[in-house]
Amino acid sequence: MSLLEVSHMSRRFGGLVAVNDVSLSVQEGEIFGLIGPNGAGKTTLFNLITGLTSPSSGNLHYQGQDITRLPPFRIAALGLARTFQNIRLFGNLSALENIRIAHHIHTKTGVWAGVLGLPAARAEQVGVERQAWALLERVGLQGRAFERAKNLSYGDQRRLEIARALALRPKVLLLDEPAAGMNSAEKATLSGFIRQVRGEFGLTIILIEHHVPLVMGLCDRIAVLNFGQMIALGSPQKVANDPAVIEAYLGVET
Amino acid sequence: MEAFFQTYGFLLVYMCLQALLGLSTYLPLMAGQLSLASSGFYAIGGYVAAILSTQVFHTSGAYPIGYLLLETLLAGLLSGVVAVVVGIPALRLRGIYLALATIAMVEILRVVSLNLSITGGAVGIFGIAQPFSSPLGYMWLVGPLLLLVMFFAYRLEGSRIGRAFIALREDELAADAMGINPTYHKVLAFALGAMLAGVVGAISAHFLNTWNARQGTFDVSIAVLAYVLIGGSRSFAGPVLGGMVLTALPEVLRPLKDLRFIVDGLLLMLAAIYLPQGLANPNWLARRKTAPVREKT
Repeated sequence: MSLLEVSHMSRRFGGLVAVNDVSLSVQEGEIFGLIGPNGAGKTTLFNLITGLTSPSSGNLHYQGQDITRLPPFRIAALGLARTFQNIRLFGNLSALENIRIAHHIHTKTGVWAGVLGLPAARAEQVGVERQAWALLERVGLQGRAFERAKNLSYGDQRRLEIARALALRPKVLLLDEPAAGMNSAEKATLSGFIRQVRGEFGLTIILIEHHVPLVMGLCDRIAVLNFGQMIALGSPQKVANDPAVIEAYLGVET
Repeated sequence: MEAFFQTYGFLLVYMCLQALLGLSTYLPLMAGQLSLASSGFYAIGGYVAAILSTQVFHTSGAYPIGYLLLETLLAGLLSGVVAVVVGIPALRLRGIYLALATIAMVEILRVVSLNLSITGGAVGIFGIAQPFSSPLGYMWLVGPLLLLVMFFAYRLEGSRIGRAFIALREDELAADAMGINPTYHKVLAFALGAMLAGVVGAISAHFLNTWNARQGTFDVSIAVLAYVLIGGSRSFAGPVLGGMVLTALPEVLRPLKDLRFIVDGLLLMLAAIYLPQGLANPNWLARRKTAPVREKT
């Protein structure tokens, strides 16, 4: 059975159909690519999956459970974590604090226990601290732990956002253009990093990416969106040779 | 020294009470919620104390502290309950719209208290019993309360719930996607602020000896908001400093006679322009620590 099942999902914004009757299923452990020209509806599909946008029609199942109408924080708690195309870190807070915050769902200290520093709250705090530092080290940002997120370089912000998503201990990681703004050397490093992270954390990864060589080299399967509709789905080779995809990207010869 | 306390005892206690009101607006602001409801809950708290002490608890001589503490407890609880009931629908609004909704709540409470007989109508409730022999006596109650609430706010900032508040303030959508329930935490922050305002109201009713519909007005809301904005909204020290300074300022400027209100207003404007982060800016400390040391040539 598939881990995540999108069935006949549509989302209309007024007259615009951003996502039009898309159905796909993501298998456990795979790296699933989502590509398409600008405005194809990729990010809207991400927003539908993570609950930030509610669908006009269609259903979403995760591990057999219907999560179509759940609010974002519940979906996050079920194990779907994401990054954002236009990086949404807590900019005024330190890198470390950004990751501490993401431990919210795995801790349960209430107002009074936290304020009074009761033993259980303190123990929890120690655990959060250890895990947050481990994650910072994992993405190579331990030296910038106390830097405000908004002062980090673009590449560092992208890595911090991935680390923050990993702090949720997700089963599915959704990456929205993780390589945007990176040079080719950084892209190669990122590609290796995504692969390693999948293995280490036992993740299923869905990613949106424009850089075709990166997607082709990294993904097990790729779905292609154009004007909200899915026009191709399959292995990188199959998708690359699909006439509909070539037409969407390059236009048709006349 | 004794003459100083004799003269300024009232002002010192009042400064602490206003600092506490500042904190009651700061708590929802910590979660990014601009609420002007503090004065409404302050009014509710005051009426709880005024009604209980004049109509329910009949005492003679100095009013027992135990009764006063019971009043503050009830005032806090009632304010908290009202906050949850009002907060769940109101906190769906954002920014300036939430501010407007909370102003409406304050106005409704004011008009209701003006027309009910239990709240004494336009006259209000007067002759509220005194637990202390002098205004400065209230410091035994208000001083520790202020320290406790400051400790609470300080510890909250570094705790799990406080982090959730701050995450919501920084980016509600991202916080939601990180598993933080926005509604729950916003209502919680709002209710904590309301409970504090209710407690302050209960103590103030005794302290001021009288309570009426003029206590919880839009003017008070704006004054309390100014404590937070002038003092600084990024740390608990801001509203405390702002509340104290802005309460003391008209007294300090008294030698200027009628000019003092103009000077008072000018100072506020200058503070808003030149210290947009407030008097207590946590970045100053941080910046000083990390500022590069200039090499001597």
